[in-house]
Amino acid sequence: MSGAAVPVVLRVPREDRAGAVAYFARRNPRMIIGGALVLAWIFLAIFAPIVAPYDPIKVNVSESLIPPSWTHLLGTDDLGRDVLSRVIWGSRVSLSVGVISVTIGFVVGVSLGLAAGYVGGVFDLLIMRVIDALLAFPALVLAIAITSALGPQIQNAMIAIGIVAIPAYARLTRGQVLAVRTREFIVAARTIGCSPLRIVMRHVFPSVTNALVVQATLATAFAILAEAALSFLGLGPQPPYPSWGQDINYSQRYLANLKWWMSVGPGVAIFSAVFAFNFLGDALRDALDPRLRRSG
Amino acid sequence: MIRYILRRLLLMIPVAFLVTIGVFVLVRLSPADPVLAFSGEERDPAVLAAMREEFGLNQPLPVQYVAWVTHLAQGDLGRSFQTKQRVLEAIVERLPATAELGIAALLISVTVALVVGTASAIKRNSFVDLAASSVTLAGISFPSFFLGIVLILLFAYVIPGHIFPPGGYTPVSQDLSDNLRRLVLPAITLAAGSLAVNLRQVRSSLLDVFGHDYMRTARAKGLRERTVIARHALKNALIPVVTLIGIQVGAIIEGAFITETIFFWPGIGRLAVTAIPSGDYPVVQGVVLVSAFSFMFTTLLVDVLYAWLDPRISYETAAA
Repeated sequence: MSGAAVPVVLRVPREDRAGAVAYFARRNPRMIIGGALVLAWIFLAIFAPIVAPYDPIKVNVSESLIPPSWTHLLGTDDLGRDVLSRVIWGSRVSLSVGVISVTIGFVVGVSLGLAAGYVGGVFDLLIMRVIDALLAFPALVLAIAITSALGPQIQNAMIAIGIVAIPAYARLTRGQVLAVRTREFIVAARTIGCSPLRIVMRHVFPSVTNALVVQATLATAFAILAEAALSFLGLGPQPPYPSWGQDINYSQRYLANLKWWMSVGPGVAIFSAVFAFNFLGDALRDALDPRLRRSG
Repeated sequence: MIRYILRRLLLMIPVAFLVTIGVFVLVRLSPADPVLAFSGEERDPAVLAAMREEFGLNQPLPVQYVAWVTHLAQGDLGRSFQTKQRVLEAIVERLPATAELGIAALLISVTVALVVGTASAIKRNSFVDLAASSVTLAGISFPSFFLGIVLILLFAYVIPGHIFPPGGYTPVSQDLSDNLRRLVLPAITLAAGSLAVNLRQVRSSLLDVFGHDYMRTARAKGLRERTVIARHALKNALIPVVTLIGIQVGAIIEGAFITETIFFWPGIGRLAVTAIPSGDYPVVQGVVLVSAFSFMFTTLLVDVLYAWLDPRISYETAAA
């Protein structure tokens, strides 16, 4: 062996970057499809007043129960309200419940998990028993119980779904904290006098973020589905405000008359939104956590 | 083994205690006055005060909780505000319908998952595998209430002959064939969500097992492929599936709330859903408690079964 190693900086030409993006897209089609669908729903939710062709709650009896046509792409309901407009406006409810409830679950669950994992001892024991108690309920049953106790309102549905989401974050975070708590960099941080809060936030939390991002994406899919289920049972936003689950429930009374379009619009909307977040979550899991890369 | 079961039962006590506190607090959070709900048309303040006294509602919350748990331990879940029927009696009356639907859904889910999941793993990347993977992803994202409505639309109204009725229930004792006809659509609806998860688990467990040395040894011994799959692969791959089926019981309990509502199936889920708008909290509380305890016991049962099936799991490890 002779001579010193010469550092070589390899610049990536611009066209290669485009190639890299194309390569990433080819390797991760699920992330692209899932991400595009999620962005499309976010766009529709934000710009609903502009994108929706009609007022979603304006009654127009002369146009009731019109099947899909060029004037009403997804038809109209028994009160003459445009189904497509209700689907577009309904995305605001679903996505806002998804985002807010996931935020509630994230903030509370991660804080509890970090504290339980780092502090340990009796505190950990108590917190984890509470988490076990939350897990003892089937998720949707707990959400139904909370919403029915607090009252059928969109805010209460958000709180209920948020509470249901807490255990997953808490357990995930606690597990990761326990795994890194005794690692050298944590011991080193403690030795140089870092406060526990600083250690948790600067050294422990970053090691959990990848798994949490995946969890948050999949939890949003669950939250949208749970909100639709609560609305279907009459525990979400109240009529006449558009909501996918509630609209499907309402359409049920016209099934015998074969007015299928009243259910198909909101049904496909729920499916595509949940599918998008699930697809994106699965792809993120594969991309961010090589240990979880599936064999299939 | 008995020590392990006893230890698990002991661990369940604090969780069960917290569950009862949770349900008690939830009902007390409700803005509605239970006395007004129970008294119906009666609005005389003296009568209402007497009722409050009788139900112990003017006592401090911890005292109310102890009284409630004492009644609960004796199997007394209170009375329905609406029908005045004992809640436990109402639940027991409707439990057979829910159990029938749940068992049928679980059977469909497990059978289809085993058959299609195995075929999908054996013929990896084939058309069957691709179709199974697509169905899995769609099944997880498809809302059960929408699937139920699509099935009703197709099989009860659109397809000539009206193959299945749109809803309702006939007890087995009255007419078995009508009972089964009415069971098909709700059972498929309830099974769909858990089928997707089970199918994915069977496939990935099998693929994992296929890579092990004992599979190569079994083939090298000259065993027929069918024997290799059934005796060596499936037997080992099914251990994680057992756990998953336990978890699916929770999904089936919660799915029953929705499915029973769509198909007018007179089970405990529908009992709770119809009680919610009228503020009949003892009924909702009772059903939620029964659901939580059933789920807890199923999880315990599955953990015990898991430790029993897999000799690699020592009871000490499983308990930790």
